[in-house]
Amino acid sequence: MWLWLVLLLSPIIASIPIAVAWEFNRNIGRKLPVLSVVGLFISFLVTLYILLFVEEGRFSYPWLPGIEIAFIVDYLSKYMGVLTGFIAFVIGVYGLEYMKDDYRLGWYWFFFNLFTASMLMVVYSDNLLSLLIGWEGLGIASWGLIGHWFRDDDELSYVGVINRKVGFLKMFWSPSTGGWRAISTIRLGDMPMFFAVAAIFAFAGNLNISQIDWELLIEKIGSFGVAVLLLAFLMGPFTKSAQLPFSEWLMTAMTGPTTVSALLHSATMVAAGTYLFMRISWYIEPWKIHDAGIEFVYLLVLFLGLISSLYGALVALASRERKVLLAASTMSSLGLMFAAAAASKWIGEFAIVVAFWYLITHAFAKATLFLVAGHLIHETHDRFLCGDLEVAKKMKLTFVVTIIATVMLAGIPPLTAYWVKSAMDEVMHALHEVGEAPLFLLIVISAVYSAFLAKFLSMNFVKGRHVHLHLHGGGLMKTGYTLMVSMLFLLLAVILLGIDEHVEEFVKAGFHATSFMVGVLVTVAYAIGFVKPTLETKVGQVLADRFYLMALNDFIVPKIGWAFVTAVDYGNRAIDFFTHRAIPGLFESVSKGIRVLQTGRLSHYVQLALGALMLLLIVVSVAGW
Amino acid sequence: MISALLAPLIAVIVAPFFKPREAAVLSAVAFFAAFVGLLIDAFTGAYYRVDLVQAAEPVGNIYMFGDTVSHAFGFTIAFVSAMVALYSYPYMAHRFEEMGLGEDEFKKYWFLHNLYAASMLWLVYAGNLILLYVFLEISLVTSFLLIYMYGYGNRQWVALLYFVWTHIAGALALVGFLLIGFENKTLALDSIKTVSFLAWLLVFLGMIIKLPGFGAHIWLPWAHAEAPTPVSALLSPLTVGLAAYVLLRIYFIEPSFIIDHRIPIFAYGVLTSVYAGLAVFKQNDYKRLLAYSTVSQMGYILIAFTLGAAGILGVVIQYISHAFGKSILFMTAGAIIATFHGLRDLNKMSGMHEFVPTISNAALLGFMNLSGILTIGMIGEFYILKGLADTFGLPSAINSIAMATMLSVVIVFIISGLYSFYTMKRIYYGTPADYSKVLVHRLLDSPLYVIAILSILLLLPPFATWFIDALVKFLGVA
Amino acid sequence: MELTIPLIILALGAAFGLRKPEISLVTALVALALSIVVEAAILVSAMIAFVAILNIAALFLMKKSYLRGVDYALVSLMLIATVVALYSTSFAMLILAFILVSTPTYMLVMASESGAKVDVGVKYITFMVVATILFIIGAALTIYGGSVNSESIQTVGICLLVLGIAMEVGAAPLHYWVPDVFDTADPIPASIIASLAKFVPFVIAFKILFTVNTEKALLFIGVIAAISMLAGNIGALTSNKPARILAYSTVANMGYIIAALTVFYKPEFVYLAFAGVLLQLFANAFGKIGFFTAIREEGTNSVFSYIMALSFIGLPPLLGFWGKFYILAALIYANVMWLAVLLVINSAMSVPYYIRLANLLSGKPNKGLALCIIGISAIIMLLTVVPPNWLIDSSKVLVGYFKLGGV
Repeated sequence: MWLWLVLLLSPIIASIPIAVAWEFNRNIGRKLPVLSVVGLFISFLVTLYILLFVEEGRFSYPWLPGIEIAFIVDYLSKYMGVLTGFIAFVIGVYGLEYMKDDYRLGWYWFFFNLFTASMLMVVYSDNLLSLLIGWEGLGIASWGLIGHWFRDDDELSYVGVINRKVGFLKMFWSPSTGGWRAISTIRLGDMPMFFAVAAIFAFAGNLNISQIDWELLIEKIGSFGVAVLLLAFLMGPFTKSAQLPFSEWLMTAMTGPTTVSALLHSATMVAAGTYLFMRISWYIEPWKIHDAGIEFVYLLVLFLGLISSLYGALVALASRERKVLLAASTMSSLGLMFAAAAASKWIGEFAIVVAFWYLITHAFAKATLFLVAGHLIHETHDRFLCGDLEVAKKMKLTFVVTIIATVMLAGIPPLTAYWVKSAMDEVMHALHEVGEAPLFLLIVISAVYSAFLAKFLSMNFVKGRHVHLHLHGGGLMKTGYTLMVSMLFLLLAVILLGIDEHVEEFVKAGFHATSFMVGVLVTVAYAIGFVKPTLETKVGQVLADRFYLMALNDFIVPKIGWAFVTAVDYGNRAIDFFTHRAIPGLFESVSKGIRVLQTGRLSHYVQLALGALMLLLIVVSVAGW
Repeated sequence: MISALLAPLIAVIVAPFFKPREAAVLSAVAFFAAFVGLLIDAFTGAYYRVDLVQAAEPVGNIYMFGDTVSHAFGFTIAFVSAMVALYSYPYMAHRFEEMGLGEDEFKKYWFLHNLYAASMLWLVYAGNLILLYVFLEISLVTSFLLIYMYGYGNRQWVALLYFVWTHIAGALALVGFLLIGFENKTLALDSIKTVSFLAWLLVFLGMIIKLPGFGAHIWLPWAHAEAPTPVSALLSPLTVGLAAYVLLRIYFIEPSFIIDHRIPIFAYGVLTSVYAGLAVFKQNDYKRLLAYSTVSQMGYILIAFTLGAAGILGVVIQYISHAFGKSILFMTAGAIIATFHGLRDLNKMSGMHEFVPTISNAALLGFMNLSGILTIGMIGEFYILKGLADTFGLPSAINSIAMATMLSVVIVFIISGLYSFYTMKRIYYGTPADYSKVLVHRLLDSPLYVIAILSILLLLPPFATWFIDALVKFLGVA
Repeated sequence: MELTIPLIILALGAAFGLRKPEISLVTALVALALSIVVEAAILVSAMIAFVAILNIAALFLMKKSYLRGVDYALVSLMLIATVVALYSTSFAMLILAFILVSTPTYMLVMASESGAKVDVGVKYITFMVVATILFIIGAALTIYGGSVNSESIQTVGICLLVLGIAMEVGAAPLHYWVPDVFDTADPIPASIIASLAKFVPFVIAFKILFTVNTEKALLFIGVIAAISMLAGNIGALTSNKPARILAYSTVANMGYIIAALTVFYKPEFVYLAFAGVLLQLFANAFGKIGFFTAIREEGTNSVFSYIMALSFIGLPPLLGFWGKFYILAALIYANVMWLAVLLVINSAMSVPYYIRLANLLSGKPNKGLALCIIGISAIIMLLTVVPPNWLIDSSKVLVGYFKLGGV
């Protein structure tokens, strides 16, 4: 139990001193970030310990009746845990320098560490409800971090060109808006997911992913029920992993500090969605279940993933902001992970392994690229893609790291991602029951993906406009991304040396002719992207404006919402008027009427009294008494 | 630990004789002592009873008793009251100064505040419907007087409005109680065997006004917004929810009314919650906004009532989580009012985090309670959803009701989350408005964090384990 | 005839009292003490006696009066008549008691520090005479109808009886004298009319209705009660003078009590209704004494005025609550739900003006006797913090005297 407590609580506890101190004495506060990073480091060590020394199995502790806080160490979680621990720690180190002069360090470090702890909770949880604690933690921490620069006063923290408008859409977003968009989208998905979890508890009587008898459950609730349940459940991963049409928040999440984007987009938050899908698929074992509901859901996820991936790739291709380009590319990768994992319905467990390895590869590469982007923004004071060869010359290490990360991630043979992508090609190729479309889409996406990675390199270091550099320091930042990128070599070694039981298949797949053809295509796309990195056409504009999908977030849904709100407001006014003006007014006038009778004249009273008397008696006699 | 109930009585009697500051500490200590005792009782599921008097028919035996549900409500009330007592000191000092009243006014204030809080606490331990009604009305009068004397705006009008509405509520329930008395020849909770439809209906209608449900909800924003903030911080979190407690007690005796009319009540709860939740977006007064959110949260309780055993568990937990969240939030509103001289207009607030970061963070914790993030609210929502699945099943071709109920509850929960963070953004985020950073009185922010910490602790083991186990054992939820 | 002795003492005292008021006072108190010790349900008698004592004490506040000396005796006489009405089972005695309670008020109402107020007296007496006639005719017809087994005669009798009561105690729609008299008469006599004089008409009405075995008049009584509650409460809403508010409050309270009369056709629950009526009358009496005294003193302590106002509103555990509670209980037992709900709504409607009244009369410290009277009136509202079992028991005993026998 102590192991888990240390794992989850050390980051949080280590960040409390700075969170508290920051409100009272900032001079002390400025010295405390190191402590937070130490907390992250302890967590990282624990994840390593779990990977190396803890036997696979479950660890559960009582929580609510029938619900335990349960952790599981299995193939997915032990790697994912280390990945999270490592990336969070490295980004933490990087953040020591990057966030040095920030005005809200207490907030930053608390939420950064909470974020990490929440992700670790999601990674290791076997129980869906305890997983949800981590899940909600991710949501709230992402809100806190994306809106970190709450003052909205720094142009560098915005997304989009300030004051640009297209029709009725404002095409720029402040950090506070970014935070709001993130949390509002996520809540939209979390609540159906929460219902699904509760329903699973109601029907299966158990919430431990590895112990639920999924087959029995599915039999019990029928195909339609399964489809509803799973879709409700997947609303959580869809929104968190920014699949269409919930992708907008991810783009404006770039209003947060770059360290946050790096963490958000590699091993945590967005990865949590896909990871969760892999995790439940791992135990549902959909390839063993013949049920129309299951089939429908997996097919849907497959195509949703692929289409989201294509969308993300196209947006990234035309994007003009460093971080937004990377954000869109993340969305693209997430789509691929979903698609690959969904293919498990037809392929089996191997598809999940492929998706998982792609997640790992992507995590390191994307974290590297974000850290690079952060460093570039820091040095150029510009969040748009810019920089010519002078940048490459003055920031050699950065340049090299970027080359390595892009090349490795693009899937150029024989580098890391190539092997994973090859396996993915093979998976998609084997989807005979679904048709050729997945494979075709995958190939297109791979090519576009490669092109925009080259574009990122080219526009930042070679062909971008000239910028003035403000070089200073940067030691810790460089260490950060160098460490990060070196992990890609480690992965390559793991794959080529066959250290893991599953990777042999990857290598085999890499030697297939078709895979190699795709590899060549990707390389060519990379070259084209490098040579001609801009897309300044009308189509390019539409792509760069993300197909105007923001209309959904910023216009359509709010307009509908406000229509309801206004109606409700009128309703309240009406009720208020009726109960607090009309009715008391009525009483008052009746009251005045009653009092008018008191004229003070006796003869008048006698008339009235006798009149009333007669009237009552007449009524009585008429009524027949 | 029935003696825990006596501690507040001491505060009621003694506190007015102390200096304001000491009185605050004294009241807080008294209620906190009660809280600790009752929390332990809640964890252990203790049961006790004390007979007071035997009254003539239809009243019957009047006694106090405590079971797990009483303790759950009881420790919440005691805890929030303790924190509000601390908070009252700087806030009311500010308010009295603003109204041109002297420190002597604190004597009245402490008496009424403590009596108000204590009557709510005793209410949940009342073993006879008349005793319960007595405490209900004492809490009504004391809170009425506090609004009448120290409220804002057109305070006398608002106080009267509050009195009339809730008095109608109480009186309707009283007629219902009397019907129960007629049927059972007693109003002692342990001897009531049946509750006829008409009696249930009257109690239900009364409590709907108090809770409040859609339509009757219109009094609440007035009262809760114009009350002095410490009173709002008791009214909104604790008092209105007591209607749920009353319904709960009747439900334990005779659940058929709710079960037979499950769909209309459920729909009414959804309507209330969605309607009030939407209204939150339009409010420009911080306290009014919170008041509407209270109505929306009380909709949860109505919904949960219809959802069987798990739903009842949800009612109890929802009461607690809302109490914690809303007391924090009202106190943040009050802290801004006290610090920035009556500032409560949202249009004049922006980027307030810059000036009062501790208050902003506390508000976040409060809103997390309301939206069920990382606080006990999460368990509440979980059991409500579980009840939903238990009761209506999963949507299917022949079960369209399940689809409708699922969607409506999900929408209800989503709206709470949305208005929470929308409000956070409006008030605390964005370009800072034109104020200067000030020092917030320590008692205006630290009690809020204490509440938040308890709320988080109650989500996690071991507190959650002890507490929910005891509740489940008591309610017999499968 | 245990009451002969007090009556004689009283007459002697009154005779001497014109010269020496102290003698009258002493004899009045002696008569009062004698009158209550003789009977079974002593607590009720004692409470009524307490009302009378407060009335007498309040009379002391008036520095001079054209009745000085006799007024104590008059109050004592009213008390004796009230006690007689409680225990008597003879129709003639009841009518006698009715007149004995009614007549002294004719004189008292004119009393003031600045000579006799004849115009008030004329108004009051005119109505009272009509009321007495209606009441007596109604009572006689009811009894007669019972003896000849004629439902219709009985029903007409009940209607007349109720109308008589309505006019006597000031219930709508025959309440016109109340606001004027309460407003223009001196507050102290007004407080006597509003308190001690209210018991007997209802006691007698209960006894007479107890003999009836037709339900036909039920609705009529209910309607009168409803009209009276509504007219009183609504009328008070916009009144701003304390005395007028109290006048309308009387109209409303009389409505509540008349409502309790509807329980007569369920003899097994009459004791509940009667207990409610007594409690409500006590609450009304003490509240009116306190408030009228406060009007005379132009204000009082805010704690006292709020306690009395809240008691009128019917807030537990104050006296006023239990009155409404038992009336409600009786109505519900007797299945007159519509009246019960109406009563409840009315009690909510009364909130604003009672609070206004408390506010109008708050914020002035009293001294001496006035403080005592108001303080006792207020504190007595707390008597029922413990549920008034004693009253239920007394009520059961008293209902035993409801069967009219002989003349």
